Amino acid sequence: MVLGPLDLELAAGERLAVLGDNGAGKTTLLRLLATAARPAAGRLELLGVEATRERERLRARLGYVGHQLGLYPALTALENLEFFARLHGLGRERARPALETVGLGGVAHRRLEQLSRGQQQRLALARSVLHDPELLVLDEPDASLDAEGRDLLGALFEGRSVVMATHDLALARGLCHRALRLRAGREAGDPWGAPRAGGPSVRPREGAGPVPLPNGRAAGARALG
Amino acid sequence: MRFAGVMLAVAAKDLRCELRGKELLPALTQFVVLSLVIAGFAFDLDASSGPRLSPGILWLVLVFAGLLAFGRTFAAERDVGSLEAMLLTPAGAPAIFAGKALGATVLLVACEAVLLPAMAVFLASPISPAVVATVLLATVGMAWLGCLFAALAAQTRARELLLPVLALPLWIPFVVVGSRAVQVAMSGGGFGAWAPAGQPYAVLLDFDILFLVVSSLAARFVLDD
Amino acid sequence: MAEVPPGPTDPEGAENRRLTALAGVAVAAMLVAGWAIFVYAPQDALQGPVQRIFYLHVASAVAAFGCFAVVLLGSLAFLWRGSLVGDRLGRAAAHVGLVFTTVTFLMGVVWAKPIWNWDPTRTWDARLTSTAALWVIYAGYLLVRRLAPPGRTAMRLAAVVGVIGFVDVPVVYFSVEWWRTLHPGPVLTAPGGPAMPAPMVVAYLVTQAAVGLLCGVLVAIHYRVQARRDAALARAVAAQLELASAPEGR
Repeated sequence: MVLGPLDLELAAGERLAVLGDNGAGKTTLLRLLATAARPAAGRLELLGVEATRERERLRARLGYVGHQLGLYPALTALENLEFFARLHGLGRERARPALETVGLGGVAHRRLEQLSRGQQQRLALARSVLHDPELLVLDEPDASLDAEGRDLLGALFEGRSVVMATHDLALARGLCHRALRLRAGREAGDPWGAPRAGGPSVRPREGAGPVPLPNGRAAGARALG
Repeated sequence: MRFAGVMLAVAAKDLRCELRGKELLPALTQFVVLSLVIAGFAFDLDASSGPRLSPGILWLVLVFAGLLAFGRTFAAERDVGSLEAMLLTPAGAPAIFAGKALGATVLLVACEAVLLPAMAVFLASPISPAVVATVLLATVGMAWLGCLFAALAAQTRARELLLPVLALPLWIPFVVVGSRAVQVAMSGGGFGAWAPAGQPYAVLLDFDILFLVVSSLAARFVLDD
Repeated sequence: MAEVPPGPTDPEGAENRRLTALAGVAVAAMLVAGWAIFVYAPQDALQGPVQRIFYLHVASAVAAFGCFAVVLLGSLAFLWRGSLVGDRLGRAAAHVGLVFTTVTFLMGVVWAKPIWNWDPTRTWDARLTSTAALWVIYAGYLLVRRLAPPGRTAMRLAAVVGVIGFVDVPVVYFSVEWWRTLHPGPVLTAPGGPAMPAPMVVAYLVTQAAVGLLCGVLVAIHYRVQARRDAALARAVAAQLELASAPEGR
């Protein structure tokens, strides 16, 4: 997958939805942002640091949930989190609270392979915020999430910058400040998706005014700004 | 210290998964026992030819068991995408790699705990502490290099083909020297033979150090982009 | 994109002509070397006509090692600096080096059989084993390059093999040499021996120069072909991007 030249800037605490059809380059972009892939050309700066150097230090401040879970089927939910806590240089005691945050406290001692897909996805989310990252990069987190999980997302995003790829427009509008639409590896002109004859590039939401987000800012105002 | 912590955590995780999954160790043990039985018949071994052919048979079995073990350990990670998950932490590729190699070493040693007594019984091989020490020494070097190429091969389309092709030319010096060392040990050469340079044990140790250093340096490039 | 018409300002055409000329020189040099080997050099008193294999055998071996040194440098350049030229050069040199290694190995076997009464089941010479190991290592390099996910991953993994492989060759040589001193076999004299009459030395040098030139030309051709392919691919990808993101009839 090739991405065309892309100019992207994200403010601290801002939340960006990445939209587009399959094959448009969303995953490639997100993997670049998560330092899971290296850009072949161009400059990538994450959290004020040039992304190709100091990757280990950057990774301590990033959280990523990709298409693969990256968790161990034979280990329990708690053991999985404890392991990754140790990799982050944190104490194992961080695991239990993270588990509770995503509502998996009751199945802490159940092996991953015995959990439902939605629970597994929630565990992956817990793992991504275990180390309290400043930037969260999520590739279609809603794809396998159950309803409980989707409600959690807003809470997990609290105080962090987020880049989230999704097909769910309503979810994106509810959680994110702005959108970037990709088409064939390039930025397409109409981020929130609907073709328009003219007028502002972002459609105002139906309903009684902008929905307030947990951090007190309003989605509608941000998007038009 | 972080390095040691990560290394031990990864090795412990691997061993725990293996204990729960019970896939690799039974396969290895079965392979070992089968090899000995077949060797016994195929070489028409008796009380005199057994000890003579023992060093060769030992290395033959170890090399193939090693190929089996190293290949599987990275294939398993690849299946769930957990290698990437580990890399996306501040843990660092060298430490993670060392943990994988350590885990593989322990598994091979467990395998040898079956192999050596079996050889003593079926082939009348003279197994002494010197022999055990030599085999352990050789296992470490083999495991580190083997795991490096297993990690490499796991990222390609033809893992089973590539691992032996890549590893064997590098294992030749190992097998040549190690086989001689085992021969010396089996014919009664004790630890007195350690000190003088040019003696097989010393050369084996040199190779171990060389391979450990090379693998650790290369791990960063093999595991991470 | 319009093709550049052939003419005085056509860089690709000029490059082609240069390489063709060099290739011609290389072929001519090989013919001269052939003359040197079969006509100019005296017949060896002990070994007879078979000894003439030595010139090409050693020259090929040196050329092969030279190629693998290039693989090493190219691999290092890629790993440290992300140099695509390094990767391309490494691939070209690995291909050519593999060919020369095959030649060296076969000639060595053909030579050893009558001269040393060499019995492959009795003893493995250090050089023989190293050459065989070298062959497998660089075949592995090319396999990895082809079988890994294309792009930077394949380049990176192959480069690792290129570096470690080069380090391994002296190790293999040393270990078999060490082992062989414990198992004396048929006497292995250095090829040609230290006291070579002057005409033989000259014949060898001529051959080495010709083989070296041939090797260099082959690598250059291989490199150039691959560079053109990569450039064409890059153009195609760029064109694809342009096409795909064109506005859809607003």
